[in-house]
Amino acid sequence: MPRLNDVTDTFLWGGATDRDADPIRRALRHNRMALFGAALLTSAVAAAALAQWIAPYDPGATLQVTVEDVYAPPSAAHWLGTDDAGRDVLTNLIYGARVSLTVGFFASFISVFIGGAIGTVAGFFGGRAERVLMRFTDVVLVIPDLPLAIVLVALTRPGLINVIVVIGIVGWTGTARLVRSQTLSVKQRKFVLRARAVGASNLRILVRHIFPLVLPLIAVNTVLVMSLAILNESTLSFLGLSDPSRTSWGQMLNSAFTRGAMSAGAWWALVPPGAGIVWVVLGCSLLGYGLERVLNPRVASHHLSSAHPTSPKSAKTKRGHPHQTSPGTEFSEAPVVLDVRGASVDFTASGCPPLHAVEDVSFRLHCGEMLGVVGESGCGKTTLMLSLLRLLPTGGRIVSGEVRLSGRNLVAMGEKEMADLRWKEMAVVFQSAMSALNPIRTVGDQIAEAILRHEPRAKKIDGRVRELLDMVGIGPGRQHQYPHQYSGGMRQRAMIAMALACRPTVLFADEPTTALDVMVQAQILDVLDRLRRDLGLAVLLVTHDLGVVAEICDSVLVMYGGVVAEYADVDALFNRPRHPYTRELLRAFPDLSRPKAELVAIPGSPPSPNALPPGCRFAPRCPDASSRCHAEQPTLHILDGRHQVRCHLVESNSGVGSAHEPFRRT
Amino acid sequence: MSPSVVLRIRDLRKHYPARRSLWSGQQHGQVRAVDGVSLDLLYAELLALVGESGCGKSTLLLTLMGLERPTAGRVVFEEQDIVGLSETRMNAIRRRIQMVFQDPYESLNPTMTVGDIVAEPLAVHGLAPDKRARGAQACRALEDVGLMPAGAFLHRRPHELSGGQRQRVAVAVALVLGPDVLLADEPVSMLDVSVRAGILNLLDSLRRTRGISVLFVTHDLSTAAHIADRVAVMYLGRIVEVGFTPEVLRAPVHPYTRALISVVPVPNPRQRRQPALLPGEPPDPIDVPVGCRFHPRCPVALDRCRRVDPPLVKVGGRHHLAACLRAEAPLGKYP
Amino acid sequence: MTHCRFLLGKAGGALFTVGFVLVLNFFLFRILPGDPARAGVRDPRLTQESQVAIQARFGLDKPVINGIERVNPLRLGSFTVNPLDTQFFIYLRNLLQGDLGISYHRNRPVTELLKERLGNTVLLVGSGQILALLIGIALGAVAAWKSRTAIDYGALVGSLVAWSMPTFWLGMVLLFWGSRWLGLPIGGMITPGATFANPWDARMDVVLHMVLPVLTQTIVYVAEYVLIMRTTMLDVLSEDYILTAKAKGLSTFQILKDHALKNAALPIVTIVALNLGFTVAGAIQVEIVYSWPGLGQAIYESVVRRDYPMLQGAFLLLAVSVVFTNLLADLLYSYLDPRVRTA
Repeated sequence: MPRLNDVTDTFLWGGATDRDADPIRRALRHNRMALFGAALLTSAVAAAALAQWIAPYDPGATLQVTVEDVYAPPSAAHWLGTDDAGRDVLTNLIYGARVSLTVGFFASFISVFIGGAIGTVAGFFGGRAERVLMRFTDVVLVIPDLPLAIVLVALTRPGLINVIVVIGIVGWTGTARLVRSQTLSVKQRKFVLRARAVGASNLRILVRHIFPLVLPLIAVNTVLVMSLAILNESTLSFLGLSDPSRTSWGQMLNSAFTRGAMSAGAWWALVPPGAGIVWVVLGCSLLGYGLERVLNPRVASHHLSSAHPTSPKSAKTKRGHPHQTSPGTEFSEAPVVLDVRGASVDFTASGCPPLHAVEDVSFRLHCGEMLGVVGESGCGKTTLMLSLLRLLPTGGRIVSGEVRLSGRNLVAMGEKEMADLRWKEMAVVFQSAMSALNPIRTVGDQIAEAILRHEPRAKKIDGRVRELLDMVGIGPGRQHQYPHQYSGGMRQRAMIAMALACRPTVLFADEPTTALDVMVQAQILDVLDRLRRDLGLAVLLVTHDLGVVAEICDSVLVMYGGVVAEYADVDALFNRPRHPYTRELLRAFPDLSRPKAELVAIPGSPPSPNALPPGCRFAPRCPDASSRCHAEQPTLHILDGRHQVRCHLVESNSGVGSAHEPFRRT
Repeated sequence: MSPSVVLRIRDLRKHYPARRSLWSGQQHGQVRAVDGVSLDLLYAELLALVGESGCGKSTLLLTLMGLERPTAGRVVFEEQDIVGLSETRMNAIRRRIQMVFQDPYESLNPTMTVGDIVAEPLAVHGLAPDKRARGAQACRALEDVGLMPAGAFLHRRPHELSGGQRQRVAVAVALVLGPDVLLADEPVSMLDVSVRAGILNLLDSLRRTRGISVLFVTHDLSTAAHIADRVAVMYLGRIVEVGFTPEVLRAPVHPYTRALISVVPVPNPRQRRQPALLPGEPPDPIDVPVGCRFHPRCPVALDRCRRVDPPLVKVGGRHHLAACLRAEAPLGKYP
Repeated sequence: MTHCRFLLGKAGGALFTVGFVLVLNFFLFRILPGDPARAGVRDPRLTQESQVAIQARFGLDKPVINGIERVNPLRLGSFTVNPLDTQFFIYLRNLLQGDLGISYHRNRPVTELLKERLGNTVLLVGSGQILALLIGIALGAVAAWKSRTAIDYGALVGSLVAWSMPTFWLGMVLLFWGSRWLGLPIGGMITPGATFANPWDARMDVVLHMVLPVLTQTIVYVAEYVLIMRTTMLDVLSEDYILTAKAKGLSTFQILKDHALKNAALPIVTIVALNLGFTVAGAIQVEIVYSWPGLGQAIYESVVRRDYPMLQGAFLLLAVSVVFTNLLADLLYSYLDPRVRTA
């Protein structure tokens, strides 16, 4: 299931989520860095190619040189002055581009060819070939490049070809490692497995499956290798190891260094050649870096991105969309712990219209009650949960509605107050305990951290940590271990223990058992259920599993396309569902106790938040949809008790109930 | 061998070396992923293989597909043992055994069009004379899996399709060679619930209309219960129980099956049952217990279970087999 | 137990690499045209006694290795020759005794010369590295934290520009204007011919000479580290455990300190090790421009003056140092990362 970030990313940065599709073209279109780098490079190449026409003087011409001509400062005749032999610096600069670019291009070609070949063979064939090749690569990798290049060039005849070859054979190791790891990773992807399963030959797999996915990375790598090659060439020239008859930028700097430009104060002999190198290398690095960002896009905002301003203070009714706060009779005598009214969550990014991830959600959570928030991908259940805690990435926040925790309005609260509330009043258990725990700190340490944050002067932390772990069935010695030393179920239990460290009022659990086996899931749910009874916890359980909801929840909130489809006590929802989506979902959900029942699919797919239908969110897939449903969003209707439904058909009271047999359960 | 058995697996084993010594490359310890599996797949049946993670079910499929070489055992298909066949002969077999993978986002090459993806098996086996013929056959396959109009899908790329559509394409690729056996590795577990039934019903209808046998691997017993004719329960590399679905659900014999059935949540609040929680978690396939591999967690283990590895024997009704030493004494009906 | 295994494995790998370097070093100077080893002996700068001594000590009249008389041009020899009586084993034996030959240029043992220079290089490189690491890590972390703001873009672009500068050119530019405008020394490690009242003044003199070279290095290395740290930090800050930390109510500063930095530092250790080649390249260039008497300068000088024993010795020392520094980095990493330590 796509993660939260994938949804926001798709919206905010548009286009396909599949990053493999046509990356180079996409990169050049959107990526300013890459474009700028490409511009720098092309201008340098153009200058080198057109040197004969744009250089003011002829480089090979013998000049009548007088003393004044040596290291003459910039003038009208010589825009960049002259060098130690009276030659025009600008001319040398332009012609020097040729050498640097030629060497850079050919040397990087050699490096990438060798590295690519080695990496492909190692990654694709594996086994002993891989071991030997990678060992060899690692050994050569360690040997420092420049000294080796110096030695090789010094011991052979200095010349352009030599330099190209030497730089080429010294710089392939990075490419080899990159290509190997990428080949390996592509080889393990399922479509390659299928190609093998179909009987495709190795050659076919390499050509049709592996290369298209490795080539973009090689292209990026080539650009970066080229920048290193040009730097290496300039260094070797500077050291006098290159062909002295070819004026390269490094050669110019060599002359400047060894022939007294510095003491003569001739900065014009010093700065331009280096600037030329910087121009070209910067062009390569910008291009490479920009392209790399497209191929390996990182989530643009991380969890610590600058905090958004606090949300507007009061409840605003949404765009002509009246909601009714539920006055309804209380579910139980227990006090209301979390009261959400008309909460809407938007994601905003500059330059784009806001994304309406969640609209107008209302529910009430009582002390000791477990509420199941159910829905499929894109329904907004995780967004809702994170928004209550204000943990959404930048740009996501509650834009209207009220959220009251034991009476306090969370929406209008300042950030500092909110941080104090977190964990102390509201704690979270995330889906994947392996990634939600810091892998390089002990479990006990992380639990203690939570305690100390809210009780800085707490004593006997160790004992408390042990007690917490014991509560979830983890032995005492384990607190000094690291998360990777725990088993999957144990890790999740540890997360629960950590969540309870400060005795919160509400526990939010985001799909806590989805990644676990059914047996372990039962253990975890058992722990959760037991603890909430013992501690009087209110729990908000986000899940897609209706079975889990039926097993342990007291009430259910069914979400679809960012809105509440139905909200009811668990019994009412399963036995008297009023919303067509709830009904269809129940029919699509396998039931072990009634294996003979037919599983009915709902045609189509759940809508994504940036392509919401205009009327009722479920209308495109609803078997009972009328024209009104497609055009107009339904309001929330309160049925008996606290059963709420957002559907036009309920209103007329003739719809769901009679047209289809109520979904009866034995 | 009864004529309706399409695939016969006998005592199949796949062991992996656990650790390699630095210098000699020798193994210490074995991961016994598949450890003696015996199973029959009947004609046009949908057999669900149920088990938790680490039980070896995915490895079993890869071995059957020829993507992994088994360590021991036999797999008889069309009257020949396909274990250890040469590549060329295996290729001929491959046309008739095909696989559908779990992850719809990963099982299609993102740089290829749907048409190319579906037509690839044809190109590999040189079956259709030219591109147009291949395209036509691809269209037919797409229609068979419910993607219509097929022509519109031919030039789309995977990222333009929804999860459910992608999985249908995956099924189409598997179908295009006209296989007799379909191996499905958790084909719906990564799809939304409302979409799953579509794929499941598709698989079901395929086997009815085309007589394909489907070996359906899943960790979800509820799904298996709905669509499978027979269900086999796998634990730590071995089949511990197999039989017709209604019977296995109604009267499970193996304590693991019983526990599994009891912990599966049922979407009916009026049927909250007491789950029989097993202690601990399934052990690593490196450390398979001696004797009955389930005995450390078994609530009704006997002393004998520590020493004797129970064979798969007939218990109760037709073709109901279980590997439990207590099978002789009935454990009582499931409530 | 597995940790020990890991360490042994890494140590073994390092030894293997060193062995490879030794062999490479030996054959490189014999494979390449002109057979510098043999040719150099007839270098006119050497006295007659030295020539004879070298001939004897390095067995230059002996076969290269069992079965090969000369490598370039290739001339095979007899296999019955005593393998220990070949150039290769003499070379190994001398190496183990710390004998790297005699410098043609200075007529002194190479080992002595290198010993003098190693310390200077370590001083220069060490200072540059430490400064660059501290600044680079801090700047990179801040750039990642303030991702997509002006600070981030500024740091990114600035680093890319600095990284694109050839180190020697930056050195020359800084030297040019540094000596003109700030009166800083134009090269060398100490003011030649100066006497100092006390050791403190002598050290200050060295420090003064270090300002520009260290500055040059720092600028170039900082660029590298900022880029790396920024990327690493961005990855770390997107991890789920950062969200957990935020959910616990920890302040941004606390999260950065206790979760982000430690986790990001781990891959940095490895990457710094991988980039040692880059570091060495920079050091060589800086030493040359500033005439700093270190290993890098030794390599350059020996190239210019065709002092092959010196070149060979300096290259060997440099390569072996890098190998061992890599090993140290691996060991350090294994202690810092509990997943390796307790696996």
